[in-house]
Amino acid sequence: MNEKRSVWDYEDIVGRGLLEDLELLAGNISGKVQHVNSTYTGGGVAEILNSLIPLFKGLEIETEWNIIRGDDEFFSVTKSFHNQLHGRVGGPVDVHAHEQVSVLEDLEMEIKDLSTKRRMLETYLHWNRVNAEEMTNDGDFVFIHDPQPAALIHTKEKGHWIWRCHIDVSSPDPLVWNFLRDFVSKYDASIFSTPLFSRPDLGIRQFLVPPSIDPLSDKNIELSQSEIDKVLDKYEITTDKPIITQISRFDRLKDLPGVIDAYKLVKKRIDCQLILAGGVAADDPEGMEVYQEVLKKADGEADIHLLLGSPPFADIEINAFQRASTVIMQKSLKEGFGLVVSEGLWKGKPVIGGATGGIPLQVINGVTGYLVHSVEGAAYKIANLLKDPELARKLGENGREHVRHNFLITRHLKDYLLVMLSLENPSSIIRL
Amino acid sequence: MPDFTFYKARYQSELTGKSARDISELISVIKEVDESSIFHHIYHALLDYHFLPLEYPNDFAYWIADVLHEPALAERLADPDLREIHDLEALRARILSIIENYLTTHDVVGRARSGQEFHFIRCISVIFPTRYVASNMGEALEILKGIDLDSIFYYFIASRMLGGEHYKEFSRWVLENDSRELMESLDNLYPYGFANLNAMRTEIVKIVERYFWEHL
Repeated sequence: MNEKRSVWDYEDIVGRGLLEDLELLAGNISGKVQHVNSTYTGGGVAEILNSLIPLFKGLEIETEWNIIRGDDEFFSVTKSFHNQLHGRVGGPVDVHAHEQVSVLEDLEMEIKDLSTKRRMLETYLHWNRVNAEEMTNDGDFVFIHDPQPAALIHTKEKGHWIWRCHIDVSSPDPLVWNFLRDFVSKYDASIFSTPLFSRPDLGIRQFLVPPSIDPLSDKNIELSQSEIDKVLDKYEITTDKPIITQISRFDRLKDLPGVIDAYKLVKKRIDCQLILAGGVAADDPEGMEVYQEVLKKADGEADIHLLLGSPPFADIEINAFQRASTVIMQKSLKEGFGLVVSEGLWKGKPVIGGATGGIPLQVINGVTGYLVHSVEGAAYKIANLLKDPELARKLGENGREHVRHNFLITRHLKDYLLVMLSLENPSSIIRL
Repeated sequence: MPDFTFYKARYQSELTGKSARDISELISVIKEVDESSIFHHIYHALLDYHFLPLEYPNDFAYWIADVLHEPALAERLADPDLREIHDLEALRARILSIIENYLTTHDVVGRARSGQEFHFIRCISVIFPTRYVASNMGEALEILKGIDLDSIFYYFIASRMLGGEHYKEFSRWVLENDSRELMESLDNLYPYGFANLNAMRTEIVKIVERYFWEHL
């Protein structure tokens, strides 16, 4: 990616002050920046990097973006890591689950489980070794995103290496976390999206940098009504009923069945329609399975538009779905940050979100939307907003300002520049 | 008379890995944490955008009210009278003394549930010159009216607490340009009295304009 973008393209949105600061801070950075993750497309990390890299370059900072490669088994393993690092989703543990199993059978199951885990760790290490041999990691600031490429730290010869964690590792599976921690603790620093995700057992510096959206990307740019209508026509969606939308990958942690249940409760009282639109990321082999489950659950419901972006939806289409909506949902059970929440808020829509991960940073309960803990809670709040358009408008307006001040790409860029300066000078007061 | 260059700072949060679940853990971490953490938790809310005036202007007060359900202590911490506090160690001592005095007559038994802990954050301040330069008080007034609120925060709060280098420089420059009376009025500005930095900027501009009105 050689494209450059000027930070001044954002002047009308964020004002001059921040942009002047970005230029000044960037002028104090010397050396090459390198970002490494596992995909150029699909998912929040790739989306952020697609916006950030041109801005780094526009500030005349030499910047490179590399992705690691792997086979299906590797991405199955890293998806499993992802789920296990997110930890167990709430709900009571079934203490009777093993009562019918003998001690011997129990032991055999444990041995089998450990042997599977061992194979997974070997697959992970194998592909990290392959990538280490193929990739030159000679940046002065090397940002390694998420667990997939974390073991590349063994190739470090120079520079500051930063592990950028986009997921919630506050209550991880101990085996997977301990395995990963051996790599992460060798980094110079880590970055987490909220204080809740930070780890007491890393022994390295931990910075706080929430993710962001790009207001000038196709996914968030202003659209005319005719552009929105064109997309709705393509997917045979009419606007005669209010639209509730959840945009998310087909992933169990996004609780798509819960969204359908909440919609069904509302539908009994208010005529409305539901859009569930999403794709399957290149590094997520579980997605199609989840899609089939959701398809089955939505079967027979004429007003549920279950849309699988395959090939992926154009970003303009996602943008149009969100702009056509009355209410945006993100009813996740676990969430790293949930960039779609900021996307919805930026479009002036109230968002109903699961009270998990980074969602409460974006949804200020009763101010920019509502935080919910159950299907019933979600249904109640959807109904509130559908019945009171003025309330929905006010929350959406607040949401847009909340995002403008906290979750735009320019703030994200500023934070990365500050982290880089802080790695060069670990004092708590740095004078430029 | 030399020109005066306005400075500002940008702040980066660094997680300390330290957290508290109840009042005794809070006290014990406040005692040991880096002083930039004290600065962060007392002042950062002033820099943030808020939809409504803040109920409590600092993180300690907010957490004590919201999680430990001890509003009376939160209210004391919300108005800690920082007029005579000019460095972060004195600020730390004031916060501790308010909490410890309260505990002599009250039992604070609240305990945070998982996920509601108080997470201590260290603040990295990166200080740099802006492109705004004044050669007299009239120009300085115009700059103060329009400059980023980060600069207002830096001069009238952060610089005073983080060694005072640039605030002293500003004081000297004002004194050389005008009078002790104006500087004293600015010195007496009490940041905790304002709902947000815009209100603080308005007051600063009013003080300087009033001085011009009376003296020029």
